[in-house]
Amino acid sequence: MATKRPTVLVVEDEVLLLQAICTKLKLSNIDALSASSAQQALYYLKNLSRVPEAIWLDYYLGDSDGITFMKKLRSNKKFQNIPVMVISNSASPQKVQSMYKLGIKKYLIKADHRLDEIITDLKELIKSNKTN
Amino acid sequence: MIASVGDGLAVVDKGGKILMLNPAAAKMLKLSAQDVVGKDYIETVPAADNDGQIIPREKRSLNVVLSSGQSFTNHTANYYVRSDGTKFPGAITTSPIIFENNIIGAIITFRDITHEKEVDRMKTEFLSLASHQLRTPLSAIRWFVEILLSGDAGPLNREQREFLGNVDESTNRMVALINDLLNITRIESGRIIIDPKPTDLGKLIEGIMAEVKSKYLAKSQKIILSIHPKLDKINVDPNLLRAVYLNLINNSIKYTPSGGEITIFISRKGDYILSQVTDNGVGIPQAEQKRVFQKFFRGRNIVKKVVEGTGLGLYLVKAIIESSNGKIYFKSQENKGTTFWFTVPASGILAKKGEVSITS
Repeated sequence: MATKRPTVLVVEDEVLLLQAICTKLKLSNIDALSASSAQQALYYLKNLSRVPEAIWLDYYLGDSDGITFMKKLRSNKKFQNIPVMVISNSASPQKVQSMYKLGIKKYLIKADHRLDEIITDLKELIKSNKTN
Repeated sequence: MIASVGDGLAVVDKGGKILMLNPAAAKMLKLSAQDVVGKDYIETVPAADNDGQIIPREKRSLNVVLSSGQSFTNHTANYYVRSDGTKFPGAITTSPIIFENNIIGAIITFRDITHEKEVDRMKTEFLSLASHQLRTPLSAIRWFVEILLSGDAGPLNREQREFLGNVDESTNRMVALINDLLNITRIESGRIIIDPKPTDLGKLIEGIMAEVKSKYLAKSQKIILSIHPKLDKINVDPNLLRAVYLNLINNSIKYTPSGGEITIFISRKGDYILSQVTDNGVGIPQAEQKRVFQKFFRGRNIVKKVVEGTGLGLYLVKAIIESSNGKIYFKSQENKGTTFWFTVPASGILAKKGEVSITS
């Protein structure tokens, strides 16, 4: 049986970045679901027939921020185990710490990484989450 | 005449007793110029350091000036405490009055630099904000170039590939520049966290060498590690010290020709841990050596040879070492090589609460 392509929900309010991320994810055999706001992301989650394998999250979102998003996400039992990776250009120690406390798996600085590096990490994350 | 001077001025005798306080000084300190005459200056005018801690008598510059005859500007004190307990940041200069080779007293001049501090804070804040903002469009450039370069949007001809490679390189350079600028704003603003942990310097260097291995192997450089085998763990911020070593070692690799030699030496010397990075590279021109630690300085002999480089590395290195109560020195000869060495107290450094760290 062929393994099904994983789905990743990408939450990023910069449209150009969202386009680049989703393009690269699709080329890497991952289905990308793009959301340009926290509201849109939560709407998708509630209405999807299945839970995505991972979430790619920016910290500053037009209508919200990472902490608020994570609290909302984790308040729903269905979404408690989705691994979340934060890719943001702002990473003060307080923010990073609070986000780890809320259960994110990784916090990276956008400008410091190539897309393929981040996607390699993301695939690892999906893999380890499956085996657990 | 003295009464009209706009800066604060105080004159003390050789015992540190106030002889005179001008009206500007009395106003700034909220003291009565008449009442304080004859009182002990250090007691009457408490001073505080950057963390707001009152400076003990033995560390006050007046004490040193009266005994040594040296002159100081903002030696230990950065704040004066008014009679009502409030503080203001001051530019404070303490100079001895010498008569027939004897120190007979001292003159202290100071002015309130609240406004300058505020402007400086705004500059740092702006730089930090601007740098963060620049990262977003840079990420877009970086990621789209990556997609194009990997052929994901169709095949490229040789020239297109080469030009896009140039865009990629420049973008990465700009990312590095922004990261350096951000780190500098963090150090300059005093918001940096210093988080000392017992650190095995040998292990720290090992990790760094693994990281830079591909770079020195690509240039067939010989690396000699000489780390004292019985060095105790030292209480430093490994994150900060790592940035120091990484900067110095990367510089040596970059500015030493292929086949060159780089020596890293760490040992204990009295109360200090001494670290030294030596190379037989291009060196720093004699005429430019006094500018080595300045922001954006790059030697004229390297600008042509190595494109990559921000001119901020050594400035950052010096700032970190000084924030860790250490000192940095170098000697260099053009076309012969360079040695940088620095000290940190073997007793370790004190923790400092803050809001930012150097990797964020």
